[in-house]
Amino acid sequence: MVTVEEPIVSTSGCTLIGQGAEARVWEGMYLGQASILKQRFSKKYRHSTLDAKLTVGRLKQEVRSMLRARKVGVLTPVVQHVDHEASTIYMQKVIGRSIKDVLHEGSLEAEGLKLLMAEVGRILAKIHDGGLVHGDLTTSNMMIRTHDGALVLIDFGLSYNSSVPEDKGVDLYVLERAFTSAHSTQGNLMDMVLESYRHHSSQWSATFNKFAEVRMRGRKRAMLG
Amino acid sequence: MEQVFEFEGLCGRTLHVWLFINVSNSKDILQKLIGGQLPVECVFVNATLVPDLIVLRAAAHKALTADQRQRLKTKSLHSEMLYNISGSKHIGETLKRFGIAEGSQHLLVARFDASEEDAAAIKAVVAGQPVALEQLHTLTDTATVTKYYKISPEELKIGSLADAILCRIAARDC
Repeated sequence: MVTVEEPIVSTSGCTLIGQGAEARVWEGMYLGQASILKQRFSKKYRHSTLDAKLTVGRLKQEVRSMLRARKVGVLTPVVQHVDHEASTIYMQKVIGRSIKDVLHEGSLEAEGLKLLMAEVGRILAKIHDGGLVHGDLTTSNMMIRTHDGALVLIDFGLSYNSSVPEDKGVDLYVLERAFTSAHSTQGNLMDMVLESYRHHSSQWSATFNKFAEVRMRGRKRAMLG
Repeated sequence: MEQVFEFEGLCGRTLHVWLFINVSNSKDILQKLIGGQLPVECVFVNATLVPDLIVLRAAAHKALTADQRQRLKTKSLHSEMLYNISGSKHIGETLKRFGIAEGSQHLLVARFDASEEDAAAIKAVVAGQPVALEQLHTLTDTATVTKYYKISPEELKIGSLADAILCRIAARDC
């Protein structure tokens, strides 16, 4: 029987594939489909009431964001089931590789690289224009699906709704930092992304102005007064 | 004609599903259903609104999980399953839209843990032509489905109708 406290343990055939600060990620099955389970666990150092509130809030926000991204036409894993009691999200497994792996392998020629970065720019423009900020844009949170080569955005754990240019600018800045720290040998990938972003976003000028500002000062805004 | 589904992590529970087309006594069934006079408890779903069986299975899985924890939001396991098919929190509206109506022609009938006698009783109740479940996707009324689930054309470009519905079922309580 599945118990409310530790439902994952008794689900047969689940294997742990990763753990972060907020959640464990398992691989399992849901209704005969390969599934990724993301279980948020409780933090014992927090007051239990606050902890429950935060965990539930973040779980819901993540699911809402994934749905919102799909609504504006950006691929995310299909949400199969949300178990509120166990704070677990069941997502369809994406068969493919992360962009990080693809870039590190370095097998892409210049033309392919350009196309890939243009695609990244296009989907970012789409979610930003749809009023969604991903919050954790890194190359490991983007995957290329094997069977059709489509770009899938994953991990909406830090995602939130916003149409403020500042937030979008920070989102782009986080991605730029990810590029410079992990893929500096590949040339200037960010320029290709921005070029495509400018082309596809209707609000690019406001976002770019803020982006330039964020670049100068860093991600955190100075809190004066 | 009949298909049986099992659920991972929910040992021993099964869902039996039948598909009937050209049903002539929907009005009669509806009256019996409301009056509680059906010989066996089961769920009738408007088959034109279900493009894929995965939708039905996801709803059933969600209902079973809630039942196990005694967290049903509706009065019975079967009505919970029907409620779960929808992406809306409005129970009455959901039962009306996705359940059987007076003029329903094509019906999906499902029962949890059905015995041989239950199956026979269900077949006796429905005056329609039982067909293979593979035919389900040919009955889909896409326009109404996209309206009820509020699915944008953008979303259909990136995934199937079933994927979009699955997301809505899962995300309803979020």
